[in-house]
Amino acid sequence: MNQKFDAIIIGAGVIGCPIAYELSKMGYKTLNVDKLPDAGEGSTAGSCAIVRAHYSTADGVAMAYEGFKYWLNWENYLDNVTDEKGLAKYMNTGSLLLKSQGHDWKKVQKNYDEVGVKYEEWDNDKIKKMVPVADLHEFWPVTRPEDPAFYNEPVKELEGGIFCPEGGYVNDPALSAHNIMRAAEAKGAKFMFNAEVVDIRSENKRVTGITLKDGTQIDAGIVVNVGGPHSFKINKMAEGVWEGCNIKTKALRHEVMYCPSPEEYDYLNKGYHMSDGDIGCYVRPEVGNTFLIGSEDPDCDPQEWVDPDDFYAGKGGHGKDNVLTEEQWKAQCYRLGKRIPTLSVPNQPKGVVDLYDCSDDWIPVYDKSDLPGYYMAIGTSGNQYKNAPVVGHMMAQLIDACEKGLDHDKKPLQYKFKYTDRSTDVGFFSRKREINYNSSFSVNG
Amino acid sequence: MQIYICVKHVPDSAAHITILDKNRIDESISFLLNPYDEHAVTEAAKIKNNTPDSEVIAVCLGKNDAEKTIRSALAMGADRGILITCDKNYDSMVTALALKAAIEQDGTPGLIFTGKESIDAEGMQTMFRIGAVFDFPVATNVVKLDIEVDKAVVDCELSGGITNTYEMSLPCVLGAGKGLNTPRYPTFPDVVKSKKKPVQKIVFTDLNIKDSPAGMRIVELEPLHQARQPKEIKGDAGFVAKEIIRILKQEAKVL
Amino acid sequence: MMKNIGVIIELDKGRVKETNFGMITLARAKDTQLFAFVMDADAKSVKEVLESFGITKIVEVWLAPDQLNNPVTRAKAMINAIKEFNISMVFGLSTAMGKDLLPRIAAHLFAPLVMDCFYVDLEQKIAKTYQYSGKTIATIQLTGEVLVFGIRPNAIEPVKAQEKAQMLKFDSSHIVATGFRVIKSGGIDKTTRINLAEADVIIAGGRGMKNSENFNILFQCAKKINAAVGASRVAVDAGWVPYSMQVGQTGEKVSPKVYIACGISGSIQHFAGMKTSGMIIAINTDENAAILSNCDYYVKADALEIIPTLTKILDNG
Repeated sequence: MNQKFDAIIIGAGVIGCPIAYELSKMGYKTLNVDKLPDAGEGSTAGSCAIVRAHYSTADGVAMAYEGFKYWLNWENYLDNVTDEKGLAKYMNTGSLLLKSQGHDWKKVQKNYDEVGVKYEEWDNDKIKKMVPVADLHEFWPVTRPEDPAFYNEPVKELEGGIFCPEGGYVNDPALSAHNIMRAAEAKGAKFMFNAEVVDIRSENKRVTGITLKDGTQIDAGIVVNVGGPHSFKINKMAEGVWEGCNIKTKALRHEVMYCPSPEEYDYLNKGYHMSDGDIGCYVRPEVGNTFLIGSEDPDCDPQEWVDPDDFYAGKGGHGKDNVLTEEQWKAQCYRLGKRIPTLSVPNQPKGVVDLYDCSDDWIPVYDKSDLPGYYMAIGTSGNQYKNAPVVGHMMAQLIDACEKGLDHDKKPLQYKFKYTDRSTDVGFFSRKREINYNSSFSVNG
Repeated sequence: MQIYICVKHVPDSAAHITILDKNRIDESISFLLNPYDEHAVTEAAKIKNNTPDSEVIAVCLGKNDAEKTIRSALAMGADRGILITCDKNYDSMVTALALKAAIEQDGTPGLIFTGKESIDAEGMQTMFRIGAVFDFPVATNVVKLDIEVDKAVVDCELSGGITNTYEMSLPCVLGAGKGLNTPRYPTFPDVVKSKKKPVQKIVFTDLNIKDSPAGMRIVELEPLHQARQPKEIKGDAGFVAKEIIRILKQEAKVL
Repeated sequence: MMKNIGVIIELDKGRVKETNFGMITLARAKDTQLFAFVMDADAKSVKEVLESFGITKIVEVWLAPDQLNNPVTRAKAMINAIKEFNISMVFGLSTAMGKDLLPRIAAHLFAPLVMDCFYVDLEQKIAKTYQYSGKTIATIQLTGEVLVFGIRPNAIEPVKAQEKAQMLKFDSSHIVATGFRVIKSGGIDKTTRINLAEADVIIAGGRGMKNSENFNILFQCAKKINAAVGASRVAVDAGWVPYSMQVGQTGEKVSPKVYIACGISGSIQHFAGMKTSGMIIAINTDENAAILSNCDYYVKADALEIIPTLTKILDNG
């Protein structure tokens, strides 16, 4: 006799766990299966866990702003569950977006106004006061250290920035997923680890369950793909699903650098999350008074699309495997070194290499599929960590509505945010959409 | 005073090591300045700043790519660099001869630094060979250094905080240890400034190093596989503790 | 032709250190004469123990008393002795003393030297050692009239072989090192802690340590076992210990002979920093902790209880 659940969620990362949590609250009997030993150990653990509201679409801004309410009331969101590992902490540093040619900040500002995001305009004097180590020259366009143009002397200064007092990061993303798992378990959800899915079974054009690597079969009328960078492989296991998606996903390799802050600058306690399109970087504080330096994917940087299994096994060679490269270390650190001229850059790369589950237009696919009962929350493209609790709630509503008869493709669900007075058309995230050229096609979303 | 630092271009200790042809590594990984050499460069730069009329010259025997490592040394305070280009890896004996030839061609060493060992070959001997061919005194794992007019007083670490203090005549050869200083890493402005510093390239074969019957050659390289079979130690605290001590003594041989 | 093999004996307060015996065992071979060179004691006092491991000639090397602790003098004396007794292969221990002696000898003899080897084939003249931060084993061919080997302590099982040894003297008391003077020997810097990246043994604490004060338990044990103390990211994040102690993907990457993980669950990020450790011993109360399935020895117990017990037993000798 196979075990049977109402819903099987493939993946116990920061998106898979809240989906389980919300479905469980609605009365569904859920099982998360994850091939790693614990919650949040996959690409969630490599996330920079930035929480900020600047997106290139109003809907993007709204969802991110809604997410804040969850992070700011973490214990409440978790319904005061105890986690033996402690709780993840949201660090509200505030978020500074530098006005530059590298980031369509005017569009962001317009979206802020529409959604009602609080912000202040800071001129250069104000920025220099708040970030004393910053050099505010314009370094655009973004280049690489191998390019002689990288060393050109700047000629003019930027024109200030937009500061959101609401913004920051979560200090331990893997732990945050673990917290949500415990909260879900308190509502009856079950979790199975070291369990790799190798097949998605269907019968009479409906999903019937999954098969694990060790041969175990588990039945469910609902299966949700939250497999992160492995999402495209999972979609291919289910009949008709991959073919029915106009927007596809694939795994994109990313390097994030950890560089010590100049000694005289207490970045950890006094610094802001900063989005600096002028140098193609975003930064946030990290333990050890360190700058965590992420890349905003400037055009001059190579993009490495990889096989996630090979990647996590350490295969692929220099620039394709899970080891930092000295070239990208210099690129990201020296770019920040232009903005912060006192930044000392060690010779040895230090940081994290991980994967984005990237969609064709860097906007997620939160949708049902052509196989009834099979759903997906994928293509997070490196910019959805902050939305995870909202996505959990939205996906649960979507799944519930579809299971109760909604034809979501024809009449898309309008998701009403819990805290923000706004609805969003979930059809925006449809697998059938045409590529959305409004997107920034980057981690900015 | 001319202070020479002998630097080595080595694989990042975090890099995946893949073995090719059973006797060499795949070099398409990240390479960088040997970590112990960083302490040497930092110290040399400090001495230069306190000694009028001095310069720091970074010398390296390596393939073309090793220029990156000389550039790192320049960004950390060296004034100029000399790259002896070669197309294969030479042992410590040949390396010492090549470095000596390049240094003698260039100037008059007042002080020669190396790192106490390179993190790839871990031979721990090149500084002694340089000292022998120059007939200069040598000390290694130097964690404290005072240069006086005609001598160097050094603390050399033996292990775990135990040091010997030596007094050496100048010129001398010093192998820098980790405790010598905190490396002064370059800022971006340092990197920009260092781009103007010259790197002279010499071809190894032009140094006419005689072939010698004595040498060391890697005949095989094999990966060290670690397949762990976890074994449980059961019992009360006293038993467990005694068993751990036994394992440390008899199996790991660290006690 | 009989080959002469020389072994440089390392003593501690007049006694032959146990680590010499594995090296002597390795140096024994057919058609060779095995010489032991002793600089720090008279041959009579070490005769019995050296004979029991197969030494056939013991050479007492005399140094001037004020030169006894001078590595340059010691090397010069050994070089002369090697030439005098026609030694074609020289063995020493790859210890702190050996690292300051063997390279000096090899450099002045223009002889090849492999340090820290755990295997030597005297006939083939090859030695095996670790390279690339413990990730590979290198087999090295040595050529030359004299070959020098630095043997990793405790790498070879000592095996007894009873012989009778001839006692010889080699007077090097006239040798004085030039340009190199010893001002102080064996100074102890009490503030120095063993460096995490260079430690042979690391004892590290994670979530299971519960607070900052409990790390003292690890520091006290570390003193007894000559270890460095490390920590997982959780302990650093919680402010219990400084970032300089962090081991992991975004901290220090270490490769010690032994890594003792106390209350560390073993996340992928932590493993990235210590997975090349020679031996991993895990102590954790959580039987589902990932580290328990990826270690060499594990104990399902509270490190806060086990480690103090360990320290106490070592204290009592």
